[in-house]
Amino acid sequence: MDTLGMLGMGFLVALSPENLFYCFLGVFLGTFIGVLPGIGSLATISMLLPLTFHVPATTAIIMLAGIYYGASYGGSTASILLNLPGTPSAAVACLDGYPMAKQGRAGVALFMTTIASFVGASLGIVILTLFAPGLAEVALSFGPADYFAMMLLGLVAAATLTQGSPAKGIAMVLFGLCLGMVGTDVQTGQQRFTFDIPYLSDGVSLVAIAMGIFGVAEVIGSIGRVTNREVTSQKITMRSMMPTKADWKASWKPMLRGTGVGSFFGALPGAGGTIASFMSYAVEKKVAKDPSRFGKGAIEGIAAPESANNAAAQTAFIPTLTLGIPGDSVMALMLGALIIQGIQPGPRLMTEYPELFWGLIASFWLGNIMLLVLNIPLIGLWVAMLRIPYSILYPAILLFICIGVFSINNSHFDVLVVMFFGVLGYIMIKLKFEPAPLLLGFILGPLMEEHLRRAMLLSRGDLAVFWERPISAGFLSVTAVLLLFAIYATIRGRNVAAALRRSAANNPPAGA
Amino acid sequence: MYRRDWTDIIGGLLLLVFGVWFLWHAQTYYNLGEMRRMGPGAFPAGLGVLMAIFGLLIMIPAWFRPGDLPVPAIRPLICIIGGGLGFALVVEPYGLVPATFAVVCISALAERELRPVRTFILAVALAIMAVTVFSKGLGIPVPAFRWGSY
Repeated sequence: MDTLGMLGMGFLVALSPENLFYCFLGVFLGTFIGVLPGIGSLATISMLLPLTFHVPATTAIIMLAGIYYGASYGGSTASILLNLPGTPSAAVACLDGYPMAKQGRAGVALFMTTIASFVGASLGIVILTLFAPGLAEVALSFGPADYFAMMLLGLVAAATLTQGSPAKGIAMVLFGLCLGMVGTDVQTGQQRFTFDIPYLSDGVSLVAIAMGIFGVAEVIGSIGRVTNREVTSQKITMRSMMPTKADWKASWKPMLRGTGVGSFFGALPGAGGTIASFMSYAVEKKVAKDPSRFGKGAIEGIAAPESANNAAAQTAFIPTLTLGIPGDSVMALMLGALIIQGIQPGPRLMTEYPELFWGLIASFWLGNIMLLVLNIPLIGLWVAMLRIPYSILYPAILLFICIGVFSINNSHFDVLVVMFFGVLGYIMIKLKFEPAPLLLGFILGPLMEEHLRRAMLLSRGDLAVFWERPISAGFLSVTAVLLLFAIYATIRGRNVAAALRRSAANNPPAGA
Repeated sequence: MYRRDWTDIIGGLLLLVFGVWFLWHAQTYYNLGEMRRMGPGAFPAGLGVLMAIFGLLIMIPAWFRPGDLPVPAIRPLICIIGGGLGFALVVEPYGLVPATFAVVCISALAERELRPVRTFILAVALAIMAVTVFSKGLGIPVPAFRWGSY
């Protein structure tokens, strides 16, 4: 069947009443929780992950994807109205969104965000549809050595491109890999790091790690820190949301440029939405006739990063679904959810589970239309939610985490494990370790070990296989370049993300 | 500001200790195998070595630069974790509603300002929601109350 035929089948899958309902539920809950201050999209997805265990795999992943883009949309709402980014990628929305809100144009900013998200996501989906099948075909010729090298590249990229020092990022990846070792060794059946606790023989639960580190730890870190700042008292009416003709004219080109930047960075391993949105903001500032308007409520400063962020959210699924390599920690959660459902993502996913792959792609479109329909009339509700004080919010979040994790196995032991990881996550926050790369290491750890052992078995213990095979040699050289770059950046006393942010947020880049 | 960057010194030290322990555990209890047939201990042992190296890499430069001493917020830490533990201990023997009260009341102590009435109202509201959404709606087999034998 050709791509169009497959896509048609995907729409049939996504339009089934059950999938449609869960897509809607995901988008709604994702926006609902994402809009709450102090809760990022990673925390939102991990909190809602247990809800998807009761439904079939395709439905589950459709719902999770809905939660993901719902949460990232909700995050930008909080950024614009409160100057309080829920997610790093939403931090860009603060730069010009909050000044716009202060100028009484909050409605226009929110409306433009919605439109830009939709444009970015739709074009991102087209790119996903065009490139994913080809990539999957290429990936079918990968051997174990190539896979190992590719995963190494993914991990190093994720670790070195995070905020903070690259060494700490790599340390977190390594820690994640170590956590992934807990459980039964696939090849020999040996119990590793289980300490005779039967619960651990299946490994540490992904949900417990994610909820502990991104949910509980974030709550502990936010108490006393997240205060409700004044929400704009403007009434957000339909009329106030309508952009002027000049706004449209100023925005459509930035949206397209943002989509291009976002699609490219989203598909790269380790880059993802945050870097994409900062890059597109920097691009807009470069091409603008009057760069000094940025940071003071320029509409391009919302339109471009928002479409970049959402295009990246779609193209990030390309490596995740076709290679089984998640680009960032959100994708690692998606991958983990698929594995829990018994599906191993990789180049065969598309041929073995075509209804899942194409159904998911079709659901992206439906989900984004729902987001559009849902958000424009419901913005008033989201604004009202921003007024909920954190002192009411956090006991509810904690309760939800407890019930959610308890419901997986009906065992209080899971709750204890979440609390353990909550403490661990809080220690990481305090010691300024960015915990997100840990999740990537945790998901990829067992796969990496398996591929390494298989590669060594095939090559009879000859490490040369890694540079004799052109594909793995290519991945390894990119990895080496990244590492060298990270070392260079560390010596220069700055990291890649900070350098990008500086050039995007502050004065015009040096030399301009 | 301190003369040394204690944040990274502590972080690096923890990584170093963990890495060495991981290596020791892997090579003591699991078979390392050989290059052509790696045993279950080989990959973890390698990870332990790398963890220790990165611990040192983070720790050593931090010794020579000024930085902060991380101060944990003890009260939120204890109250939030306590709330979770309260839930875990209460939910099986006594049911969902007492567990909800345990979470809400213990975690509410995390804030300096205590508002007993508001906390009570919040607990009642969340308990009603938890029972309707989770027990009735999603069919999670945990009763609202459980008295007597367990």
